[in-house]
Amino acid sequence: MSTLRAAWHIAVKDIAIEWRTKTAFASGLVFAVLVLAVLFFSRDPTEVSSLAIAPGALWVTFTFAAMLGLNRAFLLEREMRAMDGILLTPAPRAAIFWGKFGANLAFVGAIEAISLPLFVLFYNVPIWPRLTELLLVIAMATVAFVAVGTLLSAMVVRTRYAELMLPLLLLPFLVPPLVGGVQLTASLLDGRHLSDISGWLKLIGAFDVASVTLAAVLFQVVLDE
Amino acid sequence: MPPSDLVLTARSISRRFAYRPVLTDVSLTLSRGEVLLLVGPNGAGKTTLLRVLAGLLRPSAGTVHLSAAIGMVAHDAMLYPALSARENLRFFARLHGVRDRGRVDALLTQVDLLKRGDDRVGTFSRGMLQRVAIARALLHEPGLLLFDEPLSGLDAAASRTLVALLTEFRARGTAMVLVSHELERLGRVATHMARLAAGRLGSLEPLTGRDPAAVFATLMQDT
Repeated sequence: MSTLRAAWHIAVKDIAIEWRTKTAFASGLVFAVLVLAVLFFSRDPTEVSSLAIAPGALWVTFTFAAMLGLNRAFLLEREMRAMDGILLTPAPRAAIFWGKFGANLAFVGAIEAISLPLFVLFYNVPIWPRLTELLLVIAMATVAFVAVGTLLSAMVVRTRYAELMLPLLLLPFLVPPLVGGVQLTASLLDGRHLSDISGWLKLIGAFDVASVTLAAVLFQVVLDE
Repeated sequence: MPPSDLVLTARSISRRFAYRPVLTDVSLTLSRGEVLLLVGPNGAGKTTLLRVLAGLLRPSAGTVHLSAAIGMVAHDAMLYPALSARENLRFFARLHGVRDRGRVDALLTQVDLLKRGDDRVGTFSRGMLQRVAIARALLHEPGLLLFDEPLSGLDAAASRTLVALLTEFRARGTAMVLVSHELERLGRVATHMARLAAGRLGSLEPLTGRDPAAVFATLMQDT
């Protein structure tokens, strides 16, 4: 069985389970709406423009909503030790990482796809002229935190407080893509061209390559342990 | 038994958790058609031994060599509660590379769950879960089957069906390790019995033509 084919089956299974239960998706979505609304209404409109807090609000929403999905990725393997069932098959162990990574990307992408129009609705920010560039930035940052999140989620799943441990471990690693995402979003909403802010883009790109490579390699060690 | 018939060779396996030894210098060989009934007190290391043999746990020392595909039924069903029995089996069949589309339904029929195949396994009783787990373990027709308390949760009819199934597998040459205290029912399937106590495996006593309870009594005296 090829790694790609096995990863596909694992990702499809995870998406099917989430589609059926909608536990993480529903909570992620409610969380996203709440954060966007709370941050929007907590500012004094006469003092702070919505544009000033919009980039931060967007990335806080994405990050924490995504974390709900990342937490779920391996918890569903824990309930009846289904992961052991996968490990007993001849599927390459790398396929488990890529399958989970793919399913997590789909989950976080779906949350982002729904949150982004809500973000525009709340903050009335002009994203449409820069939509393609903004989507590129979102996609790049998402790859980074899904890669690290998938690895750490596998690490903490056997701990007693897995759902508490994941944010504690994950957030420090997310500083580079998160700061980069906020900076790039602010610059794009401010009308600056992407080439003027390419440093942040390169940083996220480099972080993507490093995080995906390291996570894929270290995942096998985590499985062995 | 010719060496080519060897299915499992475990040499000097030890396993520690932190500093606590759970298995100490366990060696075991099984050939085609041999069925080992493994008995021992709680905490003796029986489940750990099965997990090491299955490759789910790395031994701290020693080696395990398998020359056949492996199937395992453990305490946990290794299934997804949100998926139906059929979806679970299809998923694992794909990962095993089983292409026969009729295989899943054939196994559901074998474990008498065809009518409940589209129900989520999260709604199943312990016994039904056990039957789906058995079907999962058989998907790829493994040459070595590991069972941890195979009759646990099964009613009388399902137990009889499983014992008959295990007898059929033995006749087909499938090697098996059965961890159980069900001497009476599984003693009829097994070809050997051994006792694991405090992480050490005693000698493998042949069971053919002998009373399992008497063999068990001998093993208790020896350890």
